[in-house]
Amino acid sequence: MSTRRLDTGELELGGGLEVLVAAALEGMAAGERLEVLTPSRSTALELPGWARIAGHEVVGERTPAGGPYAVQIARGPFARFLAEPLPERGSGLPLRSGELHTADLRPAADVPPAVEAAAGFAPLGAIAERGSPPFRWGLNERDAIWADDVGDLAEQASAAQWDASRDIPWEAACGLPDFMERAVSQVMTFIAQNEYAALYVPARFLVDINPRYPEMLMWLASHVHDEARHVEVFTKRSLIGGQPSYALASTELSLRTLLDEHDFSGAALLLNVLGEGTFLDLLRFVERHAPDAATRSAATLAHRDERRHVHFGISHIRRRLAADPDEKAALVGAAERRAAKLTEMSGLSPLLTEGLTVMAAGSLQPAELGEGAVAVRELIQTMEGNRIRRLRAAGFDRRTAKHLSDLHTPNLM
Amino acid sequence: MRRSATELRVGAVAYHPRVVTIWELFLDYFVREGVSIDYILYSNYDRLVEAVLAGDVEIGWNTNTAFVALEQELGSEARILGMRDVDATFATVIVTRRGETFDEVRELAGRRLALGSRDSGHAAILPLHYLGEQGLDAASECELVRFDTDLGKHGDTGDSELRVIQAVARGEADAGALGDATLATFRAGRVPAVADLEVAWRSPTYCHCNFTSLPSLDDGLAERWQRALLAMRYDAPGMRHPMDLEGVKRWLRGDRAGYASLAAAMRNKSPVA
Repeated sequence: MSTRRLDTGELELGGGLEVLVAAALEGMAAGERLEVLTPSRSTALELPGWARIAGHEVVGERTPAGGPYAVQIARGPFARFLAEPLPERGSGLPLRSGELHTADLRPAADVPPAVEAAAGFAPLGAIAERGSPPFRWGLNERDAIWADDVGDLAEQASAAQWDASRDIPWEAACGLPDFMERAVSQVMTFIAQNEYAALYVPARFLVDINPRYPEMLMWLASHVHDEARHVEVFTKRSLIGGQPSYALASTELSLRTLLDEHDFSGAALLLNVLGEGTFLDLLRFVERHAPDAATRSAATLAHRDERRHVHFGISHIRRRLAADPDEKAALVGAAERRAAKLTEMSGLSPLLTEGLTVMAAGSLQPAELGEGAVAVRELIQTMEGNRIRRLRAAGFDRRTAKHLSDLHTPNLM
Repeated sequence: MRRSATELRVGAVAYHPRVVTIWELFLDYFVREGVSIDYILYSNYDRLVEAVLAGDVEIGWNTNTAFVALEQELGSEARILGMRDVDATFATVIVTRRGETFDEVRELAGRRLALGSRDSGHAAILPLHYLGEQGLDAASECELVRFDTDLGKHGDTGDSELRVIQAVARGEADAGALGDATLATFRAGRVPAVADLEVAWRSPTYCHCNFTSLPSLDDGLAERWQRALLAMRYDAPGMRHPMDLEGVKRWLRGDRAGYASLAAAMRNKSPVA
């Protein structure tokens, strides 16, 4: 049997020698021999103990005249890890003008349709060692959670992060007249209240996602982070002028029913497509009628994030319906179940309507208030029209889209 | 089935909380292999040896010191039912501070030699024995610095050996004896005290722990136990954890010859005297 030779220079055990020897032995077959050459008698005396603990065996030691000490180690029969050997180095990941995109982590065809529910946290591409403790993930099937552009969406979310402390011209919000501050504060409080639900819904699913779908984790984590920032920015805006507002019980009721939806696709329909979709129009309205640049800026930045969330919802539902048309009934069922719990709600909350009307009017003058009321009426119509359009984009037929839109909560989210 | 109705009771010493984990998982393994065992833990090896001799347990997981003491008490050969791969070629090393090594053991005469627990085969009894064979009566010619911190556990805790290397590193001893496996473990754990120590001497190899039974143990039962033990696979996912905790990758049959020097060292002499 041939013996490989390893000159270890001045290295000692505990000082890097063990790394060099272990790396050499790693690539050898059981029983193959490695002759370690060291000028140190101490190291030569210590190597047998190291080898034995590492599962190898010293089969010979000699001190050639004038030469270094030579310790022959036979590689032990055991792999250091309970996993197959690492594959040969491959071609790696493609770059786009020097950028490494999340969507390029793996080809779409390599995303497995189902993964082991007991899988652990082995990162994408890693060889998982056997014998790790079993986990119990709840979301282990691609079609139940996936969107074809989830990698791109996660990518966009990372690129579009903003800072609710520094990116808003907060000074612009100071000094509004009382009636306007009260209106804005109420609208901001309402939005912040809803953003909580938009945070908790994806957060609950996030911890159930199988780690073998890391793109989904990145996406949902960004979603949760976005919503935390929305809670932050709208809370800050509601408080900056010193005017507290009401958190309405009817809003709580509506949001509570969102948390009752335990199916991922059902929640994506109710939250992303219907709720956040409707909020897109609300945020546009706030942006257009904001009395100050801070409020406007908060609405603009939040709108940019919500657009991503709505896009995900549409993309996921469309994929889900295309893969399994029978899913339609389950999705409609989710909307109907929720609507059944909200039968006592009718119309927008008067407080929210008043706040929006004052914002659109810009004053308490009768003529302008009349115009404000018209703007709010138009907003409701725009919301409905856009909701149907989004539902159609998600793959529902015209009648179902109308039905789902009609079922949607008067709370908007 | 009632646990008290098992075929074999295995005694071991609880030198660390991990011993419970090891034996719970080994117990499951043996039961899967068709050998119903239970384990009984003792706080020290004197009790374990007494338990084997009294028939309270059929098998004892003994240190080399405990095995030799048991045979000396028995007055005849006990049965060795297996040992770890690391037990087969154990050695003691003597370390010094870097640059203060020695070529001949005689150079230790008049120096301070740190030893682990006096009932530890590898950290006290055998180094004295082998140094004697090589011409140094360390007990009379050296100033012995003893660390008897885990008496009864025969050095299993590693605590006395940690004190040995700390004493040498701090200059409170000129040389110190410890198990070569313990030194490797300290190196792997980056224990600061070993960083500036070097190995000056290594003893001949000897055997360390083994599973011991009285000669009267039923042959068929002994064989079934040993077959199951030797079949334990380090590559089996459920076994790597307890085997790593026990420091074994492969079980061997055991070799009586590896205890001759310790038996000679302990002949007519209590290990703790």
